[in-house]
Amino acid sequence: MIQIKNISKWYDDFNVLKDINEEVEQGQTVVVCGPSGSGKSTLLRCINGLEPFQSGEIFVDGVSVGDRTTNLYKLRTEIGMVFQRFELYPHMTAIQNITLAPIKVRNKSKKEAKAKAMELLERVGIPDKANAYPANLSGGQQQRVAIARSLAMKPKIMMFDEPTSALDPEMIKEVLEVMINLSKSGMTMIVVTHEMGFAREVADEIIFMDEGSIIERGTDISFFQNPESPRTKDFLDKILI
Amino acid sequence: MYLVQGIWVTIKMGFIGWIIALSLGVLIGTMRISPWRWLRFLAGAYVEVFRNIPFMVQLFFWYYAGPMIFGKSIQFQINSIIGLNYYVAIIALGMYTASRVAEHTRAGFSSISRDHHQAALSTGLTHPQMYRYVIIPYALRIIIPPLTTEFLTIFKNSSIAMTIGVLETTFMSYKIDSETFHGLESTTGACLIYLALGLAVVKLMGILESRLKIRGTIGR
Amino acid sequence: MFDAVVNNFPFLMGGFWVTVKLAFFALAGGIPLGILVGLGRISRKKWVYYPVTFYVNLIRNIPLILVIFWFYFVMPIIIGSPLDPFPSAVISFIIFEATYFGEIIRAGYQSVSKGQIEAGYSTGLNYIQTTRYILIPIALRRMLPSMITQAIVTYQDTCLAFVIGLPELIRRATIVDNLEVRSIQLYGFVAVVFFITCYIGSLMSRRFEVKEQEGG
Repeated sequence: MIQIKNISKWYDDFNVLKDINEEVEQGQTVVVCGPSGSGKSTLLRCINGLEPFQSGEIFVDGVSVGDRTTNLYKLRTEIGMVFQRFELYPHMTAIQNITLAPIKVRNKSKKEAKAKAMELLERVGIPDKANAYPANLSGGQQQRVAIARSLAMKPKIMMFDEPTSALDPEMIKEVLEVMINLSKSGMTMIVVTHEMGFAREVADEIIFMDEGSIIERGTDISFFQNPESPRTKDFLDKILI
Repeated sequence: MYLVQGIWVTIKMGFIGWIIALSLGVLIGTMRISPWRWLRFLAGAYVEVFRNIPFMVQLFFWYYAGPMIFGKSIQFQINSIIGLNYYVAIIALGMYTASRVAEHTRAGFSSISRDHHQAALSTGLTHPQMYRYVIIPYALRIIIPPLTTEFLTIFKNSSIAMTIGVLETTFMSYKIDSETFHGLESTTGACLIYLALGLAVVKLMGILESRLKIRGTIGR
Repeated sequence: MFDAVVNNFPFLMGGFWVTVKLAFFALAGGIPLGILVGLGRISRKKWVYYPVTFYVNLIRNIPLILVIFWFYFVMPIIIGSPLDPFPSAVISFIIFEATYFGEIIRAGYQSVSKGQIEAGYSTGLNYIQTTRYILIPIALRRMLPSMITQAIVTYQDTCLAFVIGLPELIRRATIVDNLEVRSIQLYGFVAVVFFITCYIGSLMSRRFEVKEQEGG
């Protein structure tokens, strides 16, 4: 589904991604972890064309992201993304947040979009908050709306950039539950996170990144029990109490 | 009474100046964050020049020196326009305030994080759609409080036009003193007028703010 | 080409000196008064809060020119004899700018966390000591960029003393202009002087802002 080949990226002089190679198959859940500044968030944004890259290729379902003729807007309708700070549009209600793109991009009728949105709100557990404004929602609720907003476009792939890092501890669980269910339902997912419990439960592959390179990969058991690289060991020591 | 005539002039200057300031200012503010470097530079230069030179100096420059720029013949024509000081004052007021509005506009746009832009784009919206439905409505709500302050300031700055002889409120209070020596009363009266204007502006913008708030603003 | 400016340079620069002097005294008086005004605005004692708030809101709604005028007329009545423009201008400016600085510093006070004040009290300091050694220094440091901006505004506002005849820069430029009518040069010169000084000021302010963020 996703093929990342020899991706390198520079911000002026700073080499933020160094020759990254990775393949994600359909239905897989891949967890990416690593210290801040390792390039994980940047990698996600390269996949859906939000950030350009200088060398290498990325193919999403056969479409080359780096190709100049590729319609990035169309590509992004197939890839959903959830952000650390939720980024809900503050001047719109939850349901308006969710229906904006389906109406304006897929030309759905208001009725159709609303019905689908309500379905999604039920799926993430907060149908009663449809008409609430983000300012009146808790962090966990906002993030769930954000997930529903991305799902409304029926993407083939969902990417998560540290979705629970900005949440109070009591709310992390409700969001992770939604993500676990999503993974189990067969969605192809790339998740940048430090929530190792989540990784253990649903990850098909775990990648550790540091300073722009992939240092180690593993399936959940091998990764946590027998990390090969000292850097990985170091990192795991720090985040696993 | 003279004061009443003055009030009308002050109000007109304030409102027309504000319209110029808003349209020009938002335009320049948008230029400041546009992707084209030379646009950013032009807009930046405009803001720096008009912000760093006191309004009164700008006014004097345009009124006294301005016509000279056009050469002797046109200069004579311009200077014989009746009420020139009034028109120059309004335009100068508009241009000065525009630089401040531009700064507020730029700050408003800058405060919207890149991630927010990306969140909108990640749902498949095009750039024009993103600006129209997500960024601009958000930015507008952010800049209303600072714009209220600028609106207030424009009325206060209109008083500076008295230095080039515009017959507005402050000038009139001065005139009354010079004729009747009741300076204390006339300036007190002028103070009250400005206070009233200030209250009216705050009320007006307050209504605007609450109208937009009903649609659910940032609770920050 | 710049003959009018060059010929009258000493005269004009004398005006600049008056401008700077006025700004200096305005700030020397306005900032300390502003510190007090800010304290008044966060006071819980009603007999302090209401008068100060009234004063601040009153002055902030009135144009500076009017304050300058008003003072010029009021002072003679109170003192019994007319005042020179310079002292009159200084007092007007102090009273006016104190409200603006007061509001800026008030924001600074409010940004100081309660915890820090409580820490002061818990080591035995009284109100005056806590305010003087903890509240005010922290607030001033935080609001330094805004205060520099306001100081620049004050400096620009000195032009307005023109109306009571103070021989500052722009009035002198006008005097020369009435004689020689080289308006573009003269007013252009004034504009350039202000532009350079204010621009440098704002650059300095930005430097402080960055330092502030780095220092925390």
